[in-house]
Amino acid sequence: MNNIFTLRFLPQGPRQFVREYAFKSELKIKWVRPEKISCILPEKSGDLSPMPKIDGKTPLPGFVNSKQLETASEETKSLFSLENNSRVWTTRTYQQSLIREVQRHSLDFGSMEAKLAKMTATIRAMQEEMKIHPRNLRRKVILKELIDKRKKFLKYLRRWDYKRFEWILEKLDLVYKSPPAEFHWVTRKESLKKLAILHCENLKQQRLDAYRRILESQQVEFLEKKLKNLEFIRKEQQECQVAVTVSEEEIKAVRKQLQELKASREKQEEVADR
Amino acid sequence: MAAARKLLLLGQCVPCIKHNASKIRIRRMELDENLLMYFKKDEFIFAHDPEKKCKTGDIVLIKELPKKFTRLITHSVEEIVYPLGDITDPITGKKVVVGKYRDDVEHVNKLFGKSEKAFDYDKAPPRGRLEGTKDFTHGETYIKWHEDGKDQPFAV
Repeated sequence: MNNIFTLRFLPQGPRQFVREYAFKSELKIKWVRPEKISCILPEKSGDLSPMPKIDGKTPLPGFVNSKQLETASEETKSLFSLENNSRVWTTRTYQQSLIREVQRHSLDFGSMEAKLAKMTATIRAMQEEMKIHPRNLRRKVILKELIDKRKKFLKYLRRWDYKRFEWILEKLDLVYKSPPAEFHWVTRKESLKKLAILHCENLKQQRLDAYRRILESQQVEFLEKKLKNLEFIRKEQQECQVAVTVSEEEIKAVRKQLQELKASREKQEEVADR
Repeated sequence: MAAARKLLLLGQCVPCIKHNASKIRIRRMELDENLLMYFKKDEFIFAHDPEKKCKTGDIVLIKELPKKFTRLITHSVEEIVYPLGDITDPITGKKVVVGKYRDDVEHVNKLFGKSEKAFDYDKAPPRGRLEGTKDFTHGETYIKWHEDGKDQPFAV
């Protein structure tokens, strides 16, 4: 057994032995605790693309097709532009553009696709805002709840209509991962245990591979010897007029096997040389 | 023995890393005699499926093999009854989404003027094209417990 920690025996006293501190493992295993990623970040929420930059000179959502605004002065236009108004309107413009990409018809705002598009737009806008105000905890809570809700809706959509689920993932550029079966805290002990198992399996595989290589290197030699022996036995049996136990087919099969093996070895060497 | 071989089992396909088999969950109700209540009891069976025709979540029929294929693989996939998220109503033979027929939904869309960008079921490719890129439901996910510098797609 690997000597994980040394034990020091005491001649007298209540305790027979004590562990040498500090704990130092001799195993070649190093565990790195994964860094915690905030639940509101795109890496966790599954958003592959962030909110695009929207031109600040675009008019407010209600005035996009307004003819009066077209003929109005520059000052009035700037008063009705997104950059001079609340951020809500920029978010709303983005929401509408995203909904228009997926909705079934021009009046559809309640289908699952439209809902998901609206949520995605809100989430991305909020994520941008959280970068500026990271201590806005109320918004953080709302954002987390919205991300979870979207995940739940995606789960439902997957069950209801798989093709539409895939289509919406592609359209909104999202990643969906099903939640793990069981929750557990990440601890040093458990992780080291898992790593030790992996290490052992790796070691086992390495040794098996090494043994295989040794056997393979002896294969040609063995077959040549076998062929020679078989031929010799057959010849002897025929000469001594005893019942022949080695058939011609057997010898042929061995010869064929040897030729094939040699050919495959040459091919492998050629590939390796390149 | 031979009589039991013809028995068909209905179960749901769950993620499985074996290449030539699918893992099927058979769910039964078991009576707890103390509480006199039924509880779910799962049994997992590996069914031989070299082409991997059943995907995670599908409801499938499996049949016991006359001889065990391996120590674990004892059954074979007989038929996929309901693919996940692509249900056909067994009575009318029409496609269904939740509580509505697909035709009805399409009809409503047409009356409102269907958008060109909208999802079209007839043109949609079969399931499985986003596996490993955006859709990671074909495998089991786990809580990330170690940082080894490699990409871990199934870590949550």
